[in-house]
Amino acid sequence: MSDSKDFVTGVDSNAKKAPRRVVFITRRISAQVKAVEEETLQTFPEVLFRAVVAIEVLAVVLVWIALAFNAPLEGLADPSHTPNPAKAPWYFLGLQEMLHYFPPVVAGVLAPGLVVIALIIIPYFNINIEAEGVFLKDRDRRLKIFYAAAVALCVFLFLFHVYVALVPTLIVAAFMILAGQSSLNSRSTFRRYLASKPLSFWIMSWFLFELIVLTAIGTFFRGPGWSWVWPWTRY
Amino acid sequence: MAKTVTQYFDDLRDTRVWRSIFRSGTGTSTLHRSLAIQQNVFLHLFSTKVRRRMVSVGATWYLGTLTLGTFLILVITGILLMLYYHPSVPQAYADAKDLQFVVSSGLFLRNLHRWSAHAMVFLVFAHMFKVFYRGAYRPPREFNWVIGVILLLITLLLSYTGYLLPWDQLAFWAITVGSNIASAVPLLGNRIHFLLLGGNSVNANALLRFYVLHCMILPLTAIFFIAIHFWRIRKDGGLYAHPSEPATLRARAAAVGKEAQ
Amino acid sequence: MGLTSKFVSFWQQLFGDSVRAFGTVSLVLLISLAIAPAKNHFSEWRHYQKQYLKMIRGRGEAVTLQRHFQGDIQQVWLPELGVVDRCTTCHVGLKEASLVDVSTQPFRKHPVIPHSLDQFGCVMCHRGQGPATTVQEAHRSTLAWEQPVLPAKYIESSCGQCHRWELTGTPTLNEGRHLLTANGCVHCHTVKLPDGTTMKATDDPPSLSHIADKTSREWIFAWLKDPKAYAATATMPNFKFNDDEARDISAFLIANSTPVTGDTVGLNAKAAPDPSAGASLYGESFCASCHAVQNTAGNLVGGNVGPELTRVGSKVKPTWLQAWLRNPDTYDPETAMPHYRFNDQQVVTLAGFLQAKSDSDLLANVHLDPSTPEQIAHGKHLVTDYGCASCHEISGIKKPENFAPDLSRIGSKAVNQLIFSQGMPHTLPDYIAGKIRDPRASSPGLKMPQYTFSPAQIDSLTTALLSLNERSHSLPPALTVAGTPDSNYQPAGKAGKLMRDLACFSCHRINGHGGDMAPDLSWEGSSVQRQWLIDFLKNPNTLRPALIRRMPRFNLTDAEINELTDYIMTVYQSPAVDRDSMPLTGFSPTQVEQGRQLFYSKYACQSCHIVDPKNDKGYIGPTLTQVGSRLSSAWVYHWMKNPQALRPGTTDPNRNMSDDDARALTAFLMNQKGSAEAKKK
Repeated sequence: MSDSKDFVTGVDSNAKKAPRRVVFITRRISAQVKAVEEETLQTFPEVLFRAVVAIEVLAVVLVWIALAFNAPLEGLADPSHTPNPAKAPWYFLGLQEMLHYFPPVVAGVLAPGLVVIALIIIPYFNINIEAEGVFLKDRDRRLKIFYAAAVALCVFLFLFHVYVALVPTLIVAAFMILAGQSSLNSRSTFRRYLASKPLSFWIMSWFLFELIVLTAIGTFFRGPGWSWVWPWTRY
Repeated sequence: MAKTVTQYFDDLRDTRVWRSIFRSGTGTSTLHRSLAIQQNVFLHLFSTKVRRRMVSVGATWYLGTLTLGTFLILVITGILLMLYYHPSVPQAYADAKDLQFVVSSGLFLRNLHRWSAHAMVFLVFAHMFKVFYRGAYRPPREFNWVIGVILLLITLLLSYTGYLLPWDQLAFWAITVGSNIASAVPLLGNRIHFLLLGGNSVNANALLRFYVLHCMILPLTAIFFIAIHFWRIRKDGGLYAHPSEPATLRARAAAVGKEAQ
Repeated sequence: MGLTSKFVSFWQQLFGDSVRAFGTVSLVLLISLAIAPAKNHFSEWRHYQKQYLKMIRGRGEAVTLQRHFQGDIQQVWLPELGVVDRCTTCHVGLKEASLVDVSTQPFRKHPVIPHSLDQFGCVMCHRGQGPATTVQEAHRSTLAWEQPVLPAKYIESSCGQCHRWELTGTPTLNEGRHLLTANGCVHCHTVKLPDGTTMKATDDPPSLSHIADKTSREWIFAWLKDPKAYAATATMPNFKFNDDEARDISAFLIANSTPVTGDTVGLNAKAAPDPSAGASLYGESFCASCHAVQNTAGNLVGGNVGPELTRVGSKVKPTWLQAWLRNPDTYDPETAMPHYRFNDQQVVTLAGFLQAKSDSDLLANVHLDPSTPEQIAHGKHLVTDYGCASCHEISGIKKPENFAPDLSRIGSKAVNQLIFSQGMPHTLPDYIAGKIRDPRASSPGLKMPQYTFSPAQIDSLTTALLSLNERSHSLPPALTVAGTPDSNYQPAGKAGKLMRDLACFSCHRINGHGGDMAPDLSWEGSSVQRQWLIDFLKNPNTLRPALIRRMPRFNLTDAEINELTDYIMTVYQSPAVDRDSMPLTGFSPTQVEQGRQLFYSKYACQSCHIVDPKNDKGYIGPTLTQVGSRLSSAWVYHWMKNPQALRPGTTDPNRNMSDDDARALTAFLMNQKGSAEAKKK
């Protein structure tokens, strides 16, 4: 691999239109520039005005919401009267729901910590750059790993009685199984779409799904003592 | 008619005063328009040109722009609210009541601030997922993605610290529940909890601390990172356009080259 | 041009290019932003102020009212009380005396009260959210404010925050406080008063340590099942015990009882032959002053100091009753019952009379098998569990502490901490009233017994309980009006022992201690003449013949009477009245005649008092036909000058008499020595 002539360098000819660029061409690919010069707009005034209009529309919507709905204000803070349930802000209710099942170290520290770390390192994963369907290459081995991981995760959730997280997991797993049975040549568009999705897509979708489900449950379905209530029952 | 509006605007831009402020005058040439961006201390963070495809609503849903919009609304309403607020116990609660009952449009200000804050948290999440599904986090934008994650955390902290300020039952117990999670950190848990609240429980110290964080430290940090976030959009090759844009191709080629080695 | 193309062109006009869109949207945003101040302008309070101005325009005194009117938000701000009351923003006419005919809120005039609105604000008394400027927030219970405006029927509770003692003008509060102590509520519930003392019960639940001497297990069973079945006036509430529980508790109480020597006697004396002798003795001894008996019409006749005696024959054992009548102190040294000096024949006669007051139905269906050790053990468990020892002394069982919830601050209890029963409005007064009405309704397993209060009594109790709140505990001391708590005064020496034996304090109050049925005797020595007192103690007759509650005859010996009289005449003297400063007789006829004139014309005393039984019709005050033989002239003189100074709270009005008038009236009254016949009697 030390052969430095594995590729040749060249200079793009149209230097007036586009900035000068270096093209790396390996032996396996032909020297083709796929990029097309796209039509551009001046930021001023076109894009800037659009952005401002977008912000203004948002402002109008928020102003009307603020006119129509009053922000909640309860009684004076009283450390001796604990409301039941005591809920964190809505965006932390997914976490609070997790705390219901797992010890605080796991649900309060480990899980969110891992999520943040995972979010940060997502773009540094080589696997993402390829953006290839997860089961397109090396299908059998990957399916085996996927089944093992999925079963382990489901058993784990089941053992901790985290059914609210188990159901979304099973749904996502079902789609992944379908993706595993599909290829880019599948007849249905939907299956071709599933087959083309990389691993990061699946992980992120699973995370998003869990986030929405857990937050929604924490917000609307939890009552006194973190018991299950329906949103329309008054407690 | 169409021209009249534009003409009025152009006339305005041609006045001495405008020119003295914005340095560039009218002119529809690319140069003039580019200068309008480049010569503005705020706008020069952005590129002078944007791909037409990326300007359409469908491409980005304008989620980043809207997030900036909520941030601006929050800064303005927040500064106005600060005029009526004492971060002390129990005056903070009385101030919230006075905003509601005697300050002109005080309730509206508080409502707008509160709902915009919720909207911002929601929009930040939406922005993140949209960027992910568009694949716009890929090299060379990986660091801007990281800044985005940092901004997400700052947004959550901003919202969380602001939650305590009305000093009502909702605020007190939401912060109590939230801050107790920090105690779960192994070894350092109680120290972090103490540092966060300035004491062992949510009290006047915590209110002051959250107030300073909410009105000073966190907004400045957010502005700092927002500036970098925008500047990096330009530096990383403009808004991401899947998948044939040159920046992506460069990165892919680099990756392929590395593989080839 | 079709409609669509019209719309398209219109759309183009508004949003055709980015500058147009910017202009249009900016305009929409500005209009939206302008709504907030507009909304502010059309606020509720401005609406009410406009209505008020419209209302006063048509009135005669419009100019004055207009001048008094101040626009914008008004507030009463009292930092030291934590009061920020903006009620006067809408309640504009509170201080306008001329608006007396206006009945629509919020413009009604405030009724006359002894306090200034500017000094106390509004929410001190009315509750509600003072700083609020909307109807909903100010008056009702909202997410941000739990204490809604207090319903008018409980308003006296607010007086009780500062006024810690009886107050004329707050009958409901006074009644409620009385009920709290008289019904034993505070035996189980601790009530710490803001002045640091603890509310004390005034009922006197009997000790159960020697109950087997007194009554049967069957009676205990029936009583436990329903105290009201035995006596309509029973203080003890119904614990709703089932048959097994009542059986076991009665078994335990009998088994736990220890005999007291001398508690039971069998006297050999024969009852008086006259069949009505018992009834006469009962009447002569004025038993009815303290004890009530249901007459054939079902009405209770008699006092409520001692227990009702309608069915006493079904309750007490004859041997115990005889011993009790002979000397009640043997069984209960603390009893409120006086020690009558009955002879054996009287005891047997009276006991026989009382024993006949029985109800065969009461115990007809009570058949108890001999108790087993398990039942006794279970009974003991129940007695502990239901906190019987909170009220009753029971040997072997300690009085439980904090048995029931502390009520010291019940009046500001957070509504979200209460458990409401179905259909009950979620307010604190409703909760308290509901709890008293039906104590076990809110959740199963509660132990609070069932009382039978009338709706008015429930309101009184609720009023008294609402007065026990955070504010009453945190008021600046300068604002509170402290009471005169019951002192522990005990008379000394031999006379003191005699007074306790006769249970004088059951009816009389002396130096802040004792009952309120009979006159306060703290200054009796300054008030009466010695000879009258001796005669009275020998044979008490009444000053107010209409009353059935009278001082009974204790059959005292002369030595005892002397002892008592000496003590009273020496010790119970008012520092303000020198008994010997005025002569008892020898007033000049002119002065007497002048007094008569004043009595009948200037002061019209005959509307309440009787001097001439033939003509005068006043029954409100005491009869004065013999007042000259009864009272000291110095007392009468000072009484004329200021009755309240001698007896606080007396209804006799202070007429601000001149010295001459008072002297003349004293002369006239001291001349009323009564007829010789009456004197003899």
